[in-house]
Amino acid sequence: MGLFNLILQGIISGVVTGCVYALVALSLVIVYKATDVVNFAGGELVMIGAYIGLLLLMWLDWPYVVIFLITPVFTYALGVLFSRFALEKINRKKTTSSTVLVSFVIATIALSDMLKGIVRVIPFTEEVRRLPPLFSGPPLFLGDLVIQPQDIVIVVVASLVMLMLWVLFGYTMVGKALRATSQNERAASLIGIPVKSVKSAIWGLSAMVASIAGLLLAPKLLMTPDMGNMVMLAFAAAIIGGFSSLPGCVVGGILLGIVQNMVGIFISPQAIAVTPFFVIMLVLLIRPQGFFDKTLAYKKV
Amino acid sequence: MNVKMKILQGLLVTFAGLSSLLSSAQTPGVTDKEIVIGLFAPLSGPLVSYGIDPLNAAKMIYEDVNNKGGINGRKIRLVIEDDKCTGNDLLGVAKKLITVDNVFILHGGSCTAAIAAAQEYIQREKVPFVMLNAAGDNAVFPPTRYMFGSFQGTQRVYGSALSEFAIKSLKAKRIAIIVHDDDYGKANLAAAKAVISRLGGEVVAEEKIPPNISDITAPVLNLRASKPDAILSGAYPAPAVLLAQKYGEFGMTNIPLLQSTQGMPTPSVYAKNVGNPDALKNLYHTWSFTDIAKEDVKERMLAMYKKSNPDREPGPFMVTGVPSALAVVDTLQRMGKDLTREKFVDAMEKLNLNSDLMTGPLQFSATRRDALRTVEVVKFDGKSQKVMPDYYSWNGKDGN
Repeated sequence: MGLFNLILQGIISGVVTGCVYALVALSLVIVYKATDVVNFAGGELVMIGAYIGLLLLMWLDWPYVVIFLITPVFTYALGVLFSRFALEKINRKKTTSSTVLVSFVIATIALSDMLKGIVRVIPFTEEVRRLPPLFSGPPLFLGDLVIQPQDIVIVVVASLVMLMLWVLFGYTMVGKALRATSQNERAASLIGIPVKSVKSAIWGLSAMVASIAGLLLAPKLLMTPDMGNMVMLAFAAAIIGGFSSLPGCVVGGILLGIVQNMVGIFISPQAIAVTPFFVIMLVLLIRPQGFFDKTLAYKKV
Repeated sequence: MNVKMKILQGLLVTFAGLSSLLSSAQTPGVTDKEIVIGLFAPLSGPLVSYGIDPLNAAKMIYEDVNNKGGINGRKIRLVIEDDKCTGNDLLGVAKKLITVDNVFILHGGSCTAAIAAAQEYIQREKVPFVMLNAAGDNAVFPPTRYMFGSFQGTQRVYGSALSEFAIKSLKAKRIAIIVHDDDYGKANLAAAKAVISRLGGEVVAEEKIPPNISDITAPVLNLRASKPDAILSGAYPAPAVLLAQKYGEFGMTNIPLLQSTQGMPTPSVYAKNVGNPDALKNLYHTWSFTDIAKEDVKERMLAMYKKSNPDREPGPFMVTGVPSALAVVDTLQRMGKDLTREKFVDAMEKLNLNSDLMTGPLQFSATRRDALRTVEVVKFDGKSQKVMPDYYSWNGKDGN
């Protein structure tokens, strides 16, 4: 395999994993934009999505299409419940806006540990598991290059979810209500938007997107109760794009997937694990607002 | 004179009796009726698959001994703890067992790094530590007085065995190696490279990957680009599956893939996770037990396990908890009634145990703390396992 093909294969594979990183980053950014909360349970929502899929496959032997429809329903409910029974209660007892934000973040850490704990007590999670391939079939060979049908499915599904989010936020009344709430809660409330319900819906939506990422990731990267640690990659992707830019985290995710593979090929596989941290530091030093977020771009008048 | 002699005799007898009482009272965890052993393994956390069944297997050996009357009149009592396979937890467990439970010896640990973290404390406390089923390279090289282990072989043994098998049996010349970037991986790599060099082969790629790697594409592309005749892997379970998946995806299945034991704690689960039968058609792995070839040994172990743990179906890794318990029992039997920790260490150094369960003898000496140096290589096609004809022994030098 020549160097050009080696790089090309690395890019193809990077785009596939990058699409999944982008989805997880989107789930974090949706919540951050609407509530100012950094969701540290984002990775565990990915993990829960994967394990719900596994349970449905093992116990009920449902086809993937049904699993992709049912799993997000469960995780949507989980997100809504978390918002209603944890965050709203904390919010009612708030003293100042800064302390309540800290409490919210700690609540997400608690949710993360709780989800891991729940999965660990299920007996068959002792072993590393994997979901079956999303799509079985012979790989496509383009000379030395190999493209798996499953990878095509991952890119297509991830792109569809991103497209749906774009349509939801840009062209629907629900999306406009979500955006209004995230921009000015009080004003949104005054024009009749049910802010509490909208906030719960945002948590539900975020959990939904994370669980779809989990279902896409589990056939490729294996399942353990600790697979949520991949959230660091999503943080890196979100920071590249700017933590409040939805298109930014899509580009950030794909870029990160490619950079990881290039680091593995040209520097060392040992450096792959530190790549996201390095990227986070680099972006924060060079352009702290990310490459797509314009909130810190002030103009002199 | 007679009176004086009688008084002197009486004093001597009293003194002897007292010293005998004191001696037995001074040995923690030993009474006239029982020997207390601290038994531990990861019973929770991500590496639990290394711990539950092996710990239950060790427990079943002790229960069997107790059912047969105990050892030299004493029954074994176990204090069981969860070390989670982390250094902090294992050290905490060791401290608790020694200072609170006053155990005679420690028997446990499934992860080398966690055990190595407790090594200094063990040496300071002078308490014998018998590893449960960790490979233990870091903890047994260099040898220290109170630490005994590697009952299913070290990483040096696996790296050496797979290299020798690749060159001698598969006639491979160009060999690519993928290991973790920790001490475990370094030990495997060092032994493999030494054997490959000694037997006239060539190492064409050395990929060191972090244990928590989630995307293994880049290292596999590097392996593929090196055009090897065989690939040696020292990966843990999750990366081992990722490796086999990518190896299958990139159409490398005509190159034999040789995996060290720790990557496949349960071969059937490994095969299911890999999910591609084509990726398993040229797969080999090391194993330290005869239960694959000898059906009677397997049946005996399973029957014992089911008797002791009727509600649990064990995985193949269960047997890894047996040899260390057999070694402890053998040592205690050889020691007789007079038990001290120092005498236990001296007796353990004379261990030379041949069991029909193991691929080689379990041996220690004054300068050796790794028990097993001989393993077999097994071909696994996803459904059945076939043991290759020869055993492979590490010579005690390669990679050291």
